[in-house]
Amino acid sequence: MSLQTVLQSIQNSGLSLWIRQNPAIFPIIESLHVVAITLVFGTIMIVDLRLLGFASHRRSANKLIAELLPFTWGAFILAVVTGSLLFTANAPAYANNTQFQLKMLVMLAAGVNMVIFHMTAHRRIAVWDSVSPPPTAARLAGVTSLILWVAVIYVGRWIGFTLDILF
Amino acid sequence: MSVQAFGQWLYTTPAAAAIRETVWVIPTVQAIHILSIAVLVGSALVSNLRLAGVFAADEAPTTIIRRYLPWMWCALAVLLLTGLLLIVAEPGRTLNNAVFWTKMALVLFAFVLTLVFQKPLLNRQSADNGPDRSTMTKSAAWLSLGLWLAVIFCGRFIAYT
Repeated sequence: MSLQTVLQSIQNSGLSLWIRQNPAIFPIIESLHVVAITLVFGTIMIVDLRLLGFASHRRSANKLIAELLPFTWGAFILAVVTGSLLFTANAPAYANNTQFQLKMLVMLAAGVNMVIFHMTAHRRIAVWDSVSPPPTAARLAGVTSLILWVAVIYVGRWIGFTLDILF
Repeated sequence: MSVQAFGQWLYTTPAAAAIRETVWVIPTVQAIHILSIAVLVGSALVSNLRLAGVFAADEAPTTIIRRYLPWMWCALAVLLLTGLLLIVAEPGRTLNNAVFWTKMALVLFAFVLTLVFQKPLLNRQSADNGPDRSTMTKSAAWLSLGLWLAVIFCGRFIAYT
């Protein structure tokens, strides 16, 4: 089964049809998607700035990460669920949209950046937990994350201006 | 001059045309608007959850408000500026839109709550962290957070009404 047939069968699914046939549904899902995105960025930014060495509301970087990450993940899950529903409504159009593809790639890069951080600087966090400035690896992870999430939001907004809407 | 007439006049101004006709301007301004509301809501989340008593209980509320209230003011300034540009570019989309005015009322309400319940904490000694977190403050904190989320929801919903 080719990618295009998979996309077409998503497009023909009952869920996809339901979203397209009820004009109020898509805007509601999209508005929730934006709420989720702002919470993801708003919380991850506080952590990223701390990794860069900007003082946060507490001294310990480890404690800050531990108390904020559940919010980031919760909001991210909401963003993925709502994003998947938006995709389902117009699967082939999104899949063929350059900005959408770019957004997925940039999110993948943000994920890789996070994994690298957890495998390197975060392993030694006990050493630099309340030290300023944090080590280069942590600062690098922080600035990379900030740039990538800004890019995710920017190309994400562009999707709305470039998508071939099918309904 | 009615709001509608004003909107129609605004639409015809050279400034409005310039913003509309340069393809990257509106998406870029909207993206900056979203980033700013994200900064604001991140700050509002941490501050209000602290005031509600469910977050960072070992840190004084004053420490947290001092850290995040200036961010909220900066974000608000950028939001008003970018928002104004978006109104100038597409007045018809906003000025005649009930969701837009609902959003403005919610923004105003949320900022009045912030001024009343957060700003006075700036002048307090950090050590003065007495058990005075009244039910009133906690309710206001939850309400503020709900208001900001509603503001963001309305913001996107404007495009569809």
